[in-house]
Amino acid sequence: MAEKVGVEGDRDVKVPNLNPSSITSGEQTVWADVSPLLESACKDLQDGELVHGENFNLFAAMSALEIMDPKMDSGIVCRYYSVDEAIENGAAPVPLSFDKTIDVQCTIDIMDHLLACEATWHKGHSLAQTVYSCIYLQRPDRTSSHALLHSYCRVIRATCNSVVSVVSETRTHEEEDLFTMAYGLPLKGDGDEKNLSMLHAVEETISRQLRACKAPSSKKRLVEDVEPLQTNLDLEEGYCKSLLCRLRFRKHFYHVLTCMRRPQGRGLELARKHIASCLLELDSILKSAEFLGSNNACETSLDGIEGRTTASGRQPIGFDSTLNNRLAAPTPPRAIKILSWKKAVEYFQKLLHDLDIICSYSLDPLFEGVLRFVVEFQKFQPDLVARAHLQLLLLQEGKLYGRDPVFAMICKAAVLPEVTKSHDIQKNESVVQLVQLVISLLRILCTNAAWQRRKLGKIVQDWRVIYLQLELAFRKEFGEISSTSIDENVCIKISKHILNWVEEQTYWIASRFLMLGFELELYSPCEYCMVYWYIYVVLIKLAEKTHLKMLTSNEIAKRKGKKKRESLKDAARDYQIPPVVLLLQCQIYLAEGLTMMLAALRNEHKVFQSLGPFNTEHERFIQHFEFLQRACIPDHVSYLSFKESTNHARLSTIVVYNCFKDAQRIAKELRSSFSNDRDRMVELRQIEQVAEHNGVALNLVCRLGTLDPSLKVYFEFSHHPYFATAVVKRS
Amino acid sequence: METTTDEEREAKIVELEAAAASEIEYVSYGGEHHLPLIMNLVDQELSEPYSIFTYRYFVYLWPQLSFLAFHKGKCVGTVVCKMGEHRNTFRGYIAMLVVLKPYRGRGIATELVTRSIKVMMESGCEEVTLEAEVTNKGALALYGRLGFIRAKRLFRYYLNGVDAFRLKLLFPRPELHSPQLTRATGDESGWHKDSRQTEENPFLL
Repeated sequence: MAEKVGVEGDRDVKVPNLNPSSITSGEQTVWADVSPLLESACKDLQDGELVHGENFNLFAAMSALEIMDPKMDSGIVCRYYSVDEAIENGAAPVPLSFDKTIDVQCTIDIMDHLLACEATWHKGHSLAQTVYSCIYLQRPDRTSSHALLHSYCRVIRATCNSVVSVVSETRTHEEEDLFTMAYGLPLKGDGDEKNLSMLHAVEETISRQLRACKAPSSKKRLVEDVEPLQTNLDLEEGYCKSLLCRLRFRKHFYHVLTCMRRPQGRGLELARKHIASCLLELDSILKSAEFLGSNNACETSLDGIEGRTTASGRQPIGFDSTLNNRLAAPTPPRAIKILSWKKAVEYFQKLLHDLDIICSYSLDPLFEGVLRFVVEFQKFQPDLVARAHLQLLLLQEGKLYGRDPVFAMICKAAVLPEVTKSHDIQKNESVVQLVQLVISLLRILCTNAAWQRRKLGKIVQDWRVIYLQLELAFRKEFGEISSTSIDENVCIKISKHILNWVEEQTYWIASRFLMLGFELELYSPCEYCMVYWYIYVVLIKLAEKTHLKMLTSNEIAKRKGKKKRESLKDAARDYQIPPVVLLLQCQIYLAEGLTMMLAALRNEHKVFQSLGPFNTEHERFIQHFEFLQRACIPDHVSYLSFKESTNHARLSTIVVYNCFKDAQRIAKELRSSFSNDRDRMVELRQIEQVAEHNGVALNLVCRLGTLDPSLKVYFEFSHHPYFATAVVKRS
Repeated sequence: METTTDEEREAKIVELEAAAASEIEYVSYGGEHHLPLIMNLVDQELSEPYSIFTYRYFVYLWPQLSFLAFHKGKCVGTVVCKMGEHRNTFRGYIAMLVVLKPYRGRGIATELVTRSIKVMMESGCEEVTLEAEVTNKGALALYGRLGFIRAKRLFRYYLNGVDAFRLKLLFPRPELHSPQLTRATGDESGWHKDSRQTEENPFLL
């Protein structure tokens, strides 16, 4: 009954083989043989019973291992006990072969497989079981006689080190903690900081070898002193080229990472140049597959062409993924499938494109601009490494881009009078907290969508609380200033503006929270009605606050720059609603239209209903909007108000008052206002498409719905990520 | 040779399925002899590795929440659950639900899980939760029909790197019910000799 021996707490239970006499008994202790005691205890145990401590709970049960079960026992010996044993057994020879051609081939295979490992690591597996499954990386000194391999291993280590430090600094890896766990792996070899000069020297040599083999025979004599890379002269050019693009890619990639770490975004421009070079080298690497594959004597590997991890298709020498299994604690060994070489190259292309978006960002000093940039960036679903670099850029030393104090940014965003920046108000405890909340918000927006949504759900409550605290604080602080003070006017303004801005952000967070639910596929079609309704009520509030803010900023601008007569002329224009608010209005119409259409379909056609044996739609509502409801966002909104506004929806009425038509009309009119803004033009086009399709669908259902019972309506996200398009089909 | 049309074949399958469905027998967990059956099923069909401790943890503490489905004496499906206090709510948790592939699509899983949920509801649970792989369309549809919502997405939750949904079913608040319902914790189980089981840690990996 081996399973009755629980292994609790420290899983690495060592049984020291000590001679009892070697440890002397203490004053009140003596050595005793426990075998008889254990034997009799065993007889007492019935099948299924367990001796355990009081704290033995599910977590302890789940953490227990069954020794020698390959699914759980990560300590199980697969091939070698240790790196040293693997090396002794010739698993990682230096040189890889005494035949120089084979040596070069094998080195390229290692480079390719390492690239695949690196991409797999970035995608969320442990460093130990991916990049560091390379035995050569584990013993930095062993490769020193092999300049090519040595320099490549060095730049790999330095790159990993750089990536780990950015991700740990920014802490964007909340749920991806495996990423930064290095388990004492040699991430820093002696002299790794010199990796670029070494890489450069090797690159120089190979460039010369390439020139030598390409030189026409008449000039050969001049370059004769150059020893060729390998012995088969027909293949010299191909191998030189294959190596050069691989080395140059590493060089430029390392530069990209270094440039992006420079403070205040100073290295972004240079980083872009290196990104462009990286992408060019990746193209060359892809092209080299033809040459490398054709020189593969043993042809196809077992995994087939798509699964292979090298350009040549050969299995690389010097890797053993099981060696580090024991470093993968505290989880059972994860079944790791290393990405294919092709997929790895694609991953790096994507990563570089994402980094390029960050580098081409204009460091917008306006808060709204920052939010929009981050949201647009997240639409590309960047992976961890890219997101970490975004956050590194946004927040350095508690300042925006390491440059602008957050309070100054708030002042600008909330359209506060110029004097506020130096006003004592920023020392107020609640204002200090507000600054922290803004920083947290930016951090959260850089995390993966799943984590982000959960955190937004929580932080939205903090924003609500800070609003109440600020309101109190302002009343206290400004109430004390006597009403005759000149300051009074300014103070009232500051407090009004900040409060309005805080509310605006709160509703923005709420809307992002709701919309992310679509991206994460958290809503089922029978819940769309309530979700769109909630989006509708939140967006109305958001538009209201944004509008109010813009009215104030117009007022200030007007007072600043215009003479009386001109301002009179402009009076008509002043009454126009700003385009940003109108864009929100478009979304409001779409949300309202979808809510009513879904409600009418439910009321009249009995579709999209949530009927379960255990609960009702009310419970679904409570669960989905728990965070918002708890924070009263917006005030006085409940399941009852949702029911009241949707219970009487009828197709015949909503077709007359058609929200989709309004959305479409405004979207069309707005085109001229945003002609220089690519992202918003895309959004407008999407809105138009959704509105148009849904308008048509609504008419169709209304006219034919009752006549043709075979008519089916379903919703898909073919035009917009959050606003669904109705599709009507005969079943 | 006789040829059968697709329709005939389909009709035959439906017939067989109906017959099979009626032949399924559902049993509440009945002791050690059921344990290897459960372990075999879960081992075969689920990606996560569980130790014997995990199985015993569930079936010894909450035998009333575990059910097995048999077809002609063969165990073809099982559900394993727990319940307890979690952040001030009394919550049920569906840990494992398995039906052998050839027996899927006949409502066996729905029946198994419905039985567990009923017991949880009667025992005073306020809600039921579980995790399911985002790619497991069958399970997601099943739980959706039962009223579960997708409360959150858990990034790369499983050892195999796949995301999960946390699914939740909230029971209607029993306004007229007495809150002093009998709460079956695992105190009387035979697993723990001379020790009380304290339910502190949530089921987290």
